[in-house]
Amino acid sequence: MSEVSSLGPREAATPVLETRDLRRSFTQGTVTIDVLRGVNLAIRAGEAVALLGPSGSGKSTLLQAIGLLEGGFEGSIRIAGQEAASLDDNGRTALRRDALGFVYQFHHLLPDFDAIENVVLPLVIHGTEPAEARSRAAELLTRLGLGNRLDHRPAKLSGGEQQRVAVARALANRPPLVLADEPTGNLDEHTADIVFAEFMDLVRSEGSAALVATHNERIAAKMDRVLRLHEGVLE
Amino acid sequence: MNVDRDRERNEGSRVQRPMRRLTPTQIGLIITGLLILAFAIWTASSTRRDNPDKLPDGNVTAARAANPQQRCAAQPTYDLIKRELFRRAATLRGSNQAAFDKLAAYAVVRVDRPLLASEDEGTGAVGCTGSLTLDLPPGVAVVGGRRTLTADIGYTLQGAADGNGQVLTLTNADAIVTPLATLARTGGQTLEPQAPTNPDPLAPGPEMPPTNEGPPRDSSPSPAPPPPVVERQSSSPSFNCANARTRGERAVCSDSRLASLDRQMAAQYRTAFASADRRTRAELERSRGRFLGYRDQCPSDDCIAETYRGRMREIRDLANGDMR
Repeated sequence: MSEVSSLGPREAATPVLETRDLRRSFTQGTVTIDVLRGVNLAIRAGEAVALLGPSGSGKSTLLQAIGLLEGGFEGSIRIAGQEAASLDDNGRTALRRDALGFVYQFHHLLPDFDAIENVVLPLVIHGTEPAEARSRAAELLTRLGLGNRLDHRPAKLSGGEQQRVAVARALANRPPLVLADEPTGNLDEHTADIVFAEFMDLVRSEGSAALVATHNERIAAKMDRVLRLHEGVLE
Repeated sequence: MNVDRDRERNEGSRVQRPMRRLTPTQIGLIITGLLILAFAIWTASSTRRDNPDKLPDGNVTAARAANPQQRCAAQPTYDLIKRELFRRAATLRGSNQAAFDKLAAYAVVRVDRPLLASEDEGTGAVGCTGSLTLDLPPGVAVVGGRRTLTADIGYTLQGAADGNGQVLTLTNADAIVTPLATLARTGGQTLEPQAPTNPDPLAPGPEMPPTNEGPPRDSSPSPAPPPPVVERQSSSPSFNCANARTRGERAVCSDSRLASLDRQMAAQYRTAFASADRRTRAELERSRGRFLGYRDQCPSDDCIAETYRGRMREIRDLANGDMR
């Protein structure tokens, strides 16, 4: 089922993300479950969009597809103008590295590397000179209130601090699109509000677009637009 | 007569004794045993033909034929893992696949507690888990100047569809692949497609300051220049060549230039060890095994010489507290 109506009027220009008739099914034994049943969406540059839906509605599966983290999808995904289906494995890796940032519910920081190194890693991989990468990482972490935690390993940071490092890591390369899957779902309500506000400030100041999967209406209300996913289709 | 009868009985016994050992049942047992022995010898000789430093198809076939637990812990499996880690890192970095491939040959992978997690008798696939450690060769490091990366990973081995080799699938390897993609020469230069035989593989000054585990870089004394390499002509290294077993040891024993480097390195090691604190001593000892591993994998004398020079710089940096 097409959901062309979910495309906003301005996305027709040059959306940073566009999916067409995106489908994903999982088969277990003789049972096939259609998790995504033809998702069409578009997000323009700099736009912050909430993907709202209950658990099991397909939010994470949709983000996995858009993040080029899994195969097995049907349909079209265009990121920064590139059709993912036309790329080989190396091309998808490059697109993921250069155009996307990720924030997960759990921070996924590397435990053996301190805060600033966790942010430096994607910068160096992206090709930034080490000294410049360190400067950029320190700047981001300081903006997020972690200026005195640069050399702390993740295990020495609080949950909110860990997630702030993950936010800095996701935005380090100024990706055109940040994908976030319940980015504050592992934090208490007070901390979640603070971290999410900081996340959105950074997204906007860096000029990135964001697609944030959440089941939290309050968080969704802070975004530019809300998409509701229900049983694999956008409403 | 009695004496003659006894003699006949005894002689008869002597004649009949061999006949009892060759009853049909016993002959069958002997033949079975010989067949088992021959099979064991054939199997052992097949295994010995495998070169642990390479991954020829025969090697992979042997690994596939091993029992599942052995496949999890086999050297060919570790080599596959190593190559896959470097391949993924190069892909993530987006360049220098050749450089990563070359460095992979000099890196060392070990897996602690390799365990069989699953087995699919239908496909022959085995799933394994283990705590993987990747030691990088001298002269290169990842962000933070690290040369050792560790992660608890999962890996699945399955015979290729065309019957030629094995297919490896890694899981939970990002903790190694991501930092590995930042691999650079310790002088901070961009990684070029060169093996550690580069003339200056251990130039001081990692591209990233040390983390909280090491002493502050600013407070560290300036690293002393590496000891002058005076390549005296002598045929004796620091060890007894009568006991030389590895490829590296034999090479050092047969080349006076390498023997000289070995003596200098050994002297530097002893001096550094004598004045080191407990932590540094432990690191000196731990890195020694890594150095020997690299040396013994070297395909040429030049490579061995460079490995010795890199080791001497490493000892110097450890003694100066410049490396964690």
